[in-house]
Amino acid sequence: MKFLHICITCWLAFWLVAPLSAQEGSGGRLSGNLEANGNFFLRDTLIGAAKTPQYDRQIFGSESWLNLNYSNWGFDFALRFDVFNNSNLLNPQGSYTALGIGRWYVHKTVDNFDFSVGYLYDQIGSGIIFRSYEQRALLIDNALVGLRVGYNFGDNLRVKAFSGLQKQQFDLYKSVIAGASIDYFLVGKEGSQFTLAPGAGIVRRTLDDATMNNLVATINTYLADDAFVPTYTAYAMSLYNTLTWGPFTWYAEGAYKTRDNMSNPLVDRVTITGDTIVGKLVQSPGSVFYSSLSFAKSGLGITLEGKRTKNFSFRTRPQEELNRGLMNFLPPMTRVNTYRLTARYMPATQEFGELAFQVDARYAINKHTSVNVNFSNITDLDGNQLYREIYTELLLKKTRKWQFTGGVQFQNYNQEVYFFKPHEPILENITPYFDFLYRFPKRRAVRLEAQYMLTGQDAKGIGYDYGDWLFGLLEISPAAKWTITLSDMYNIGPGKNSPSDANTGEKLSVHFPRFDVFYTHGANRFSLSYVKQVEGVVCTGGVCRIEPAFSGVKFSVNSSF
Amino acid sequence: MKIINYLLFGLLAGLALFSNACEEIPPVINPFTGEPPDTVVDVENQQRQVLIEEFTGVRCVQCPAGSAEIATLLAIHGERLVAVSIHAGDFVYPFPTSQYNFQTQEGDDLYNFLDSPNSFPSAVIDRKLFEGENDLPLGRNQWAGFIEQEKAIDPLIKIAVQPTFNETTRKLDVELKLYPQEIISEPDVRLSVMLTESNIVDIQDTPDGKVTDYKHKHVLRHMLTSYLGDAISESLAPGNVITKNYSFTLPESWNAGEPSLQENEMHVVAFVHLGTTSKEVLQAIEVPMIK
Repeated sequence: MKFLHICITCWLAFWLVAPLSAQEGSGGRLSGNLEANGNFFLRDTLIGAAKTPQYDRQIFGSESWLNLNYSNWGFDFALRFDVFNNSNLLNPQGSYTALGIGRWYVHKTVDNFDFSVGYLYDQIGSGIIFRSYEQRALLIDNALVGLRVGYNFGDNLRVKAFSGLQKQQFDLYKSVIAGASIDYFLVGKEGSQFTLAPGAGIVRRTLDDATMNNLVATINTYLADDAFVPTYTAYAMSLYNTLTWGPFTWYAEGAYKTRDNMSNPLVDRVTITGDTIVGKLVQSPGSVFYSSLSFAKSGLGITLEGKRTKNFSFRTRPQEELNRGLMNFLPPMTRVNTYRLTARYMPATQEFGELAFQVDARYAINKHTSVNVNFSNITDLDGNQLYREIYTELLLKKTRKWQFTGGVQFQNYNQEVYFFKPHEPILENITPYFDFLYRFPKRRAVRLEAQYMLTGQDAKGIGYDYGDWLFGLLEISPAAKWTITLSDMYNIGPGKNSPSDANTGEKLSVHFPRFDVFYTHGANRFSLSYVKQVEGVVCTGGVCRIEPAFSGVKFSVNSSF
Repeated sequence: MKIINYLLFGLLAGLALFSNACEEIPPVINPFTGEPPDTVVDVENQQRQVLIEEFTGVRCVQCPAGSAEIATLLAIHGERLVAVSIHAGDFVYPFPTSQYNFQTQEGDDLYNFLDSPNSFPSAVIDRKLFEGENDLPLGRNQWAGFIEQEKAIDPLIKIAVQPTFNETTRKLDVELKLYPQEIISEPDVRLSVMLTESNIVDIQDTPDGKVTDYKHKHVLRHMLTSYLGDAISESLAPGNVITKNYSFTLPESWNAGEPSLQENEMHVVAFVHLGTTSKEVLQAIEVPMIK
């Protein structure tokens, strides 16, 4: 594998470096970007920022990506070099050190035919049956390493097919993935506002022998009632369509997966020693139905979405957990909140059973005033409440002078499912917020932000989870290139999980301050931050991932060229 | 019409690519039938014995499922599986009503040394980084397969353990004999010796809430060696028998068992492992502290 990497490196280096001298004459184009993050870890046992290798002994961790793209002679080349030094991005509790070529590809178009080889990001439909993508914040990089070919039949019909293995950091999973899709685009007669974009796709995944042997060994520990004969290959297929008619856009997708071996963390199993435990390997077909309908006209925008998911965990091998080995992407059905407190409780998509609806309406009353209301509701397939949110927003602005945003968020959050805290009640939060931006001449500005999260209390009067929070932020842009931000998240009414006094056990109100300095010059952006960040347990389907508290200094660089 | 032709072409191409006309030949499944596991054998006939180190904590809701999984695996593999439960990580802190604190310095050190698990329950099997894995800790759906894989290996070294416990002074003396079966030329080979305690009744969080009379098993209590293991400086070649001795006085709070009732709550766990970039365990053994 290393030899292959070296060969590819040399080969790509040749293609990337050799043309540089000829760049002016040949018309080739070189572009790229660099992203680098460095973290200094400063132990703070009170908030739980301790007991990881970084806090104990390593002190510093970093991750960086350098991406280079070169296009010439009808080819596109790309090379990405990834570096992880004592990084906690892969495993928030651990330390990951590795470096190497994280991605490369070659793409060529020959008339209507095109092909790509290397590390490929792609998706079919909305990604329900297949999506390979990168999300650096969670270190998800499930690129398909292989070949993709495509053919355009005229301007309106495209067929593509691909085959390969899924990336696993600097290695590869061994299951073979292959897929194909056909996409059509139909435009109405001239003058009509009608378009249709139907498509269909299919993906198959075949397990490798080592994975199957491991699977068989596990099933052999089951009692006969729970045992099943695993299949090597699973197919997932979907039909989807986007219809646009005037102000309306309607997307609909239906997906089906054949019998597949999955790890379901929510079902019971009796062991051979008589214990009943939660979680077992299961085999079943799965389905997803997803649709969204949008209307946008005259200052009014409305979006309705609905999704039903049943047994649709699709991974490169069933042993993978959390965000590893994902082959698909199930679209979330809640608003993407951006303020610190309104984004604190986010519902994880449930792969094994979810019924979700969302309505989002925005209306611009006039040039200066608009309102936004969002409602989302998620239950399991038995009707049990998982998540509900009502989010309101009023936006007032005086052109180029000031802007005010304010509203209230109401949230119901099922801790039992999302945090896997047995018998914990549903969190009921109310969070009012506002955001005020005032612009001065010469691109100077000041912004003020505040939120208050009010959580419920149990019968003993103890606040759920961390209890009540107060958050304030002041952002000053004294010059066009500089931004300074000072914020504090204060646990004003401590709850049962708040830090406690080591001697008395009393729950403490703790400050989580943050100070950032941003400098932007052209396509370069630098930031230096002092951060104290509260811990949280992120659970998906019963398996928990701890996002520990952070205490320390962060430095980041982003540069495009 | 042209569109229909294109669609038909796509459909046929898809069918050709994904044709399932040939049914796959499935693997053979042999669910557990209750056959007894391997019995105790003398050191001469000792086979490969596999070490499973489970990371757990009293506040970890999912961890009893991991412990039950280990009980299942012990029922299947018997003496050929050696289990240690290491209470470490963020779920380890005792409840106000807990009687014991299972956290140990060695456990904390091992938690970091063995790649800090990404999720709970997790376990490390023979401290081996298996092909296709990122880290040493593995989710419970993988334990059975890798244990089978490790059992198939012939032992490079065999271990005999002879504990002697003085009930009055509570002093434990442990004599270990190592019998290399082949020349082991690795530059750094180490011996680790642990004391574990089973059937400790104390509170544990579970999916059904906090259980006050939960029986904690294989709890790592102490290590007689460094957490990194003690280096074996002697030549590891067939015919050389290497003897090591350790002593430790048990705290009063640990249940040493009642010899007259043949209850053995404490066990001595010993294993030989590499101390290089690989931490792989070559052989492991567990014996009751009181025979």
